[in-house]
Amino acid sequence: MRSKIKNFITDLDRFLFSRSHFEQLAIFRIMLCSTLFYIACFRQMNIDQLGPNSLIPRELALSVFPDFYRPVVQWFFWPDSYVGTVHMILISLLFLASIGLTNRALLLVTWIIHQGILNRNYAMLFGADVIGGLFLFYLSFTKCNECYSVRRLIFKSESQIQKPVDPISSAFFRIMQIQICVIYMYTGFEKLKGNSWWDGTALWTVFANPQFSQYDFKFLSHVPLFFAGATFLSLVFEIYFAPMMLQQRYRNIWLSAGVLFHLSIGILLGLMPFSMVMISTYVLFLKQEMIHKWINQLSILFKSIRRV
Amino acid sequence: MKRLMTKNLQKRAMFNKISKLIAGFVFFYIVAMIVVLGNGSSFMGRYFQDFFNPIANSIGLNTTWNFFSPDPAQTMYLRYFVIFEDEYGNTTADTVEGFYPKSKDLGGDFRLDKKRDSYAMRFLAVDPYRIEVFFTPWLCRKNPGATKVQVELIVNRIPSLDQVIAVVNSNINDYDNILTTEQINRYIYECPHAI
Repeated sequence: MRSKIKNFITDLDRFLFSRSHFEQLAIFRIMLCSTLFYIACFRQMNIDQLGPNSLIPRELALSVFPDFYRPVVQWFFWPDSYVGTVHMILISLLFLASIGLTNRALLLVTWIIHQGILNRNYAMLFGADVIGGLFLFYLSFTKCNECYSVRRLIFKSESQIQKPVDPISSAFFRIMQIQICVIYMYTGFEKLKGNSWWDGTALWTVFANPQFSQYDFKFLSHVPLFFAGATFLSLVFEIYFAPMMLQQRYRNIWLSAGVLFHLSIGILLGLMPFSMVMISTYVLFLKQEMIHKWINQLSILFKSIRRV
Repeated sequence: MKRLMTKNLQKRAMFNKISKLIAGFVFFYIVAMIVVLGNGSSFMGRYFQDFFNPIANSIGLNTTWNFFSPDPAQTMYLRYFVIFEDEYGNTTADTVEGFYPKSKDLGGDFRLDKKRDSYAMRFLAVDPYRIEVFFTPWLCRKNPGATKVQVELIVNRIPSLDQVIAVVNSNINDYDNILTTEQINRYIYECPHAI
């Protein structure tokens, strides 16, 4: 019994703290923060909805949430009249985070402002805002600037390979992996509750709705099996995402399918920021060697372009 | 010198152990929270409510992960009339008709800032109470002198795929004929400053 417990602890220690995953975290930081930066730039045009003339008055901002989901902390600490300035600060912080000129404390400040903005007007949130915010929170506990960052270029100290494993970074890396699996799993389960998903016609309702679909896909009703097949595949992809991530053999196939799945959603339904947030999390499942290989290939490509 | 180095190493090992312990505790707490609150309205979610919700709600983790589910929404928009009257009920200015979002059921503009209006409309459409408390005062503020607002929700029900196959495939123009439009929750609300 004692040896079993000991083995469990050793396995857990290896799972949680054996590697730092600095490369994966860095690429994830670049993708996530630049997507959030892009969303925030567009949100600047909706700034009136976050200030004194908002649809949701400041004093009712938290009461809009159903009781079960209501935040305890009111993160929007600034007066409504300053929202323009605060939002510009958020945009700047997200830009700095994208290029890697930030640290844990500054990332946490970035997240607090981001969460405050989300809480201020719950009515107009995108899925990308919510999921992106959650991952920004997790990311702020990691050392995601150890690689591919301006900060590293400036402070060229010891190489990240020589640095000891950071237990907090490593634990939050695993949390993020689990979080994305759970999101897919429950999204799939929720869909199974709907008649149209079970019936195989849900995607018809999506593509025939001009408020969702960027293009007119009604002509595809001539090929009805397309909708039935795509509905079924969407369900299978989401429900089986978590088990497939556990299988080294199928992981890359599933991730490639996911990239295709999200790019299609992004292009056809105009949900590119959401797709980019979801795709960015896939980096967390890639092997370090693969990222090295890709970065090397990219740098060779850039060098050859420069030469030309 | 050697003693000092050993002491330093011991200190570092101790620090490493403590940070691992804290990280391990945080890991188990957050993972439990992620799993339980993935379906927060379940028995488990309600049972552990006091243990998880204060933190999960504050960091934005307690959310239902339902995209286009349980069923994708129908096409909908709000139609409103802003009414201007004096204290005797006489019209003082032309009634203003408007739609929210402005693009109505056409979609069309998928720019992120425009899209937020569609999301806000769906938030309002769920509950007439929200129209009374949020939408009406907002419209009244935007139209100085307004006394009442009439709001209704227009829903265009997308025909089922079976219907479309049966009717439309002979002529695609028939699609509009099988689209059904419903006007629901038509109410008149008083502007707050006019009461």
